[in-house]
Amino acid sequence: MQKLKYRIVPQGAADGIVPLNWVFLDCKDVEALGLTYLDACKIIAKELGKDCAAVNIMDMDAVTVTSDGIMVDGAVAALASVDHGMINKDFGFLNVSEFKQYEGMMEAETHMKQWLSDYYKGKPLHRGPSMPDRGARVGHNENMTLTGRIANNNVGSEAMNMVDMTEILVPLLGMHEIMHGGTVNIGVAGPMVSVGIGMVVSELQGRIFGYTSLGAYRAGMSAHNSGEYAKTVKSDYPAIVSTKPMLAEYTLRALDCGMVPGRDIGCSPAVLSLAKAYGKPIDFDNISDRAWIELESVGMGRAKLEEATPVMSREEIIAKADSIIPGMEDAKTYAVSDICEIRYAEF
Amino acid sequence: MKYMHTKLPDFYIKAEAAGKVARPETEVEIRGLESYTSGKMASLRVGRIEEYIREITQDPGVKKVEVVFVPHNPEAIFTAVIKGIQADGSCKKAILEEMALSVPTEECELFDVEEVEDRRGSGRQQR
Repeated sequence: MQKLKYRIVPQGAADGIVPLNWVFLDCKDVEALGLTYLDACKIIAKELGKDCAAVNIMDMDAVTVTSDGIMVDGAVAALASVDHGMINKDFGFLNVSEFKQYEGMMEAETHMKQWLSDYYKGKPLHRGPSMPDRGARVGHNENMTLTGRIANNNVGSEAMNMVDMTEILVPLLGMHEIMHGGTVNIGVAGPMVSVGIGMVVSELQGRIFGYTSLGAYRAGMSAHNSGEYAKTVKSDYPAIVSTKPMLAEYTLRALDCGMVPGRDIGCSPAVLSLAKAYGKPIDFDNISDRAWIELESVGMGRAKLEEATPVMSREEIIAKADSIIPGMEDAKTYAVSDICEIRYAEF
Repeated sequence: MKYMHTKLPDFYIKAEAAGKVARPETEVEIRGLESYTSGKMASLRVGRIEEYIREITQDPGVKKVEVVFVPHNPEAIFTAVIKGIQADGSCKKAILEEMALSVPTEECELFDVEEVEDRRGSGRQQR
C-alpha cells in the first residue's frame, strides 16, 4: 500500500465561503511514486468517493504567467475534474506540457523577458496545453476539464459546480500560497478583480488564450471587451488570492524587469496602481478605448492615473500594498493551515 | 438523401416502440432534447439506439428505459441572435455573438450505475 499526499481546500472552508472541493498535488509527490499525472488524478477521484472536486497538479519549481502577464513561481502542470470516482474520458483531464522558448518569442511576447531575469532564468515554464495535450478538445474548447458536475477552467484557476452553479476563482499566487502553507485572502472578487481579469497579454499556447497563434488580445486591450459590464462579469464569486504584499512583490519584479503596463503587461487596476506608486511608465496611448471604458467604470481613468503622486520605494510599496492595490477590500485573511487540509490517499 | 436521416419526432416514436417490444407496459422516457422541435438525426445511430433499447429491456427487472442526451462535447458553442423586434413583428437589426455553454457531463447520469458499456464509436469496432 502506497500513499499519495494531497492538499484539499474542502467545500465549506473559510467560514463557508469555499463552495466546492479543490485538490492540489505537488508533481514531485506524484513523480516520486512513479505515477503519471492522470494516474494520480484517478487515485484522488477514488479517494473522494461520491464527492466531486477540481484537481490541480502543481510544479512549484516551474514558472507560469498570470492573465495580466506577470511571471510567478509555481505552475499548473496538469488539471482534472473528478466526480464519483470518475474522470471523463475525453474532457476530464488536461496535461500542460512544459513550453520551451521559441525563436522570436521575446519580440512577439515582450512580457516573457521576465523569464530571462535572475528571478526566473532557467526555470521550466508551463502555460497552456500543447495541441496534443488538448486531445479531443476542438477549436472552441477552452483550456478546461469537465467531469460530471465539475468544470476546472482556464488551466485550473476557475472552478464551477455546474449543477448547483457555485464557482470559485484561485489565481496563481493564491495557489502558490496554498502549496507553501502561507497566507491567503478570501472574499468576493468584486468589480476591480472582474475588470482586471480581462486585461490579458498575447501569448502562443497561453494559459487562457492563444493556441497556435498569438491570440486576438494584446497588452493594453481587454479580453472581456464588454464595456461597463466588465466590472460585473466576474464580480460576484469568491476568490482565494494571495495577500496584497505578495501580489506587489511579483508585480514589482515585473516592473523592475522593465515591463510597461499597457505595452508589455496587462493594464489591470492592480498593475496600474503599482506602476503609478513605483513611478514606472505606463503606456497610456497603447491602452485601447474599450479598455479605458472598463478602467474608468471602476474609477481608474487616465486623469487619475496621470495625477502627480509621491513615488515610493519597493519596501514602502510592499508595506502599504493593502492601501495601494485596489479590490477585494472586504476579503478576510486566513492562514492556509486553517482552510486547507493535508491528506494522504492510499492506493 | 431524404432517407439518410431520421426526423427528430420520428425518433421519439421509434424509441418508444423499441422499448415496448419485450413488454408493452415498459415506459420509455427521452430527455435532453426538449428545446429542439425539429431536426435530423443520423439514422444509423437511431437504429443502434433502438437495438440497445431492446437489449436493455431483455433484463426482466427493467420497468422503464431512460434515454438521456448530453452533449458529447460538454462545452457547446451557440450563436446568440440578438434581435430588435418592431411593433409589427419585423426585425430591422440583429447582432450575432457566440456563447459558450458548458454543461454537466454524462457522468452525472452514471453515479450509481453498476455496469457501463461505452459503445460510442462502436461502428468502428464491428467484426
